[in-house]
Amino acid sequence: MTRQEFIAKFETLVEVDPGTLTGDSLLGQDIHWDSMAIVGFIAMVDENMGFTPAPKDIVKSKTVNDLISIVSLGIKG
Amino acid sequence: MALARINGVRIVGIASAVPDQARYPDEFFDRFGEQEVKKITESIGVKKRYIAASGICASDLCVAAANRLFDEGKWERESIDTVIFISQSADYVVPFTAGLIQKRLGLTTGCAAFDVNLGCSGYVYGLWMASSFITGGGMQRVLLLAGDTSTTVSIEDRSVAMLFGDAGTATIVEQTKKEGEYTFVLGTDGRGAQNMIIPAGRCRKPSSATTRVRREDENGNRRSEEEVYMNGAEIFAFTLAEVPKMVQQVLAASGKTLETIDYVVLHQANKFLIEYLAKRMKIPSDKVPLSLDEYGNTHSASIPVTMTHCLREQLSRKKMDLLMGGFGIGYSWGAVNCTVGEIVMPEMIFLSSDGVGKENIL
Repeated sequence: MTRQEFIAKFETLVEVDPGTLTGDSLLGQDIHWDSMAIVGFIAMVDENMGFTPAPKDIVKSKTVNDLISIVSLGIKG
Repeated sequence: MALARINGVRIVGIASAVPDQARYPDEFFDRFGEQEVKKITESIGVKKRYIAASGICASDLCVAAANRLFDEGKWERESIDTVIFISQSADYVVPFTAGLIQKRLGLTTGCAAFDVNLGCSGYVYGLWMASSFITGGGMQRVLLLAGDTSTTVSIEDRSVAMLFGDAGTATIVEQTKKEGEYTFVLGTDGRGAQNMIIPAGRCRKPSSATTRVRREDENGNRRSEEEVYMNGAEIFAFTLAEVPKMVQQVLAASGKTLETIDYVVLHQANKFLIEYLAKRMKIPSDKVPLSLDEYGNTHSASIPVTMTHCLREQLSRKKMDLLMGGFGIGYSWGAVNCTVGEIVMPEMIFLSSDGVGKENIL
């Protein structure tokens, strides 16, 4: 999965218009980020990248880039 | 992995009871906002649930279920030689509840009775214990009771306030020469204890004025240390790690495939989780019955409640190959593959609070 594909999937997950998020978008500010969104994110990564990210790392994340670094092993380019 | 293959037991009756007081998510509109409540409801799938009036216990629901089983089945009460009460909501701190149940049901003083503190995995563990006592311990007929009431849930904590329902169930397991193998896989990981816990109120952190005060957490949820805390993300991650593995292990041990299993009855944790697990394990959704839209997450009662609600008519008249899976608090998990059917299975019991508790409990 490329970085752009990841962001596009993430936009669908958090229900924002396509193309509105960047790596610097803030979780909880630009994006509605609650425990349901976190569970949805875990499922998204599990389904598309075949591993389960650790919730404690996700909770520490502040931006979309932070989430990308958690799943970086599955991101190309 | 703990694996047990047990031959010579049979489930002969299952009954489930809920309080007759239905509750709906709209009661939380004022507290959390209508949009938020609808979003949570959509995700967890609980459109309705039943909550017991104050003072009504899990044991009351289990006793009602057991009485109905005795009424509809042909068993003599004195033939029960073991009572297992699986619950996280005992009547009293001490004594244990199964003793009171022995008295209330009019069972013989010659029976063994005890409580087991397990939650979501409890029903599978209970079947394993019942089966083991019969095949290895010389018992003949075990009354397995599983139920909980949600007395320790903060209504100001949206992560749990709308999820749980109250229920009590009764299952009779007996010795037989006819039934096939019951194949169990069981597991435990205490590292997950902190992710679903009531931190205070018992020995480790006794109740005090401080532990009884609700405080707001970083997510804006308010609860005291004597109310249940659940970290949904951690529980979800645990479930993804263990449940597919557990299902694979039990299938490998029993030599079955998902194609030949009639139904996979999973603990009714929440709708999103069950549907995602089913998709991940490639189980057709029509093989995974759901009861939580009607009853919520009923802890250890959720598997028998689901069988009563969704499979009662079929289980009453024919034998089916079932895979049951429970997982959650502890962490603890267990799955069993077994044939169940042609059993006594009353309709769901809706217990009125009138009269309950007025009998001489002590």
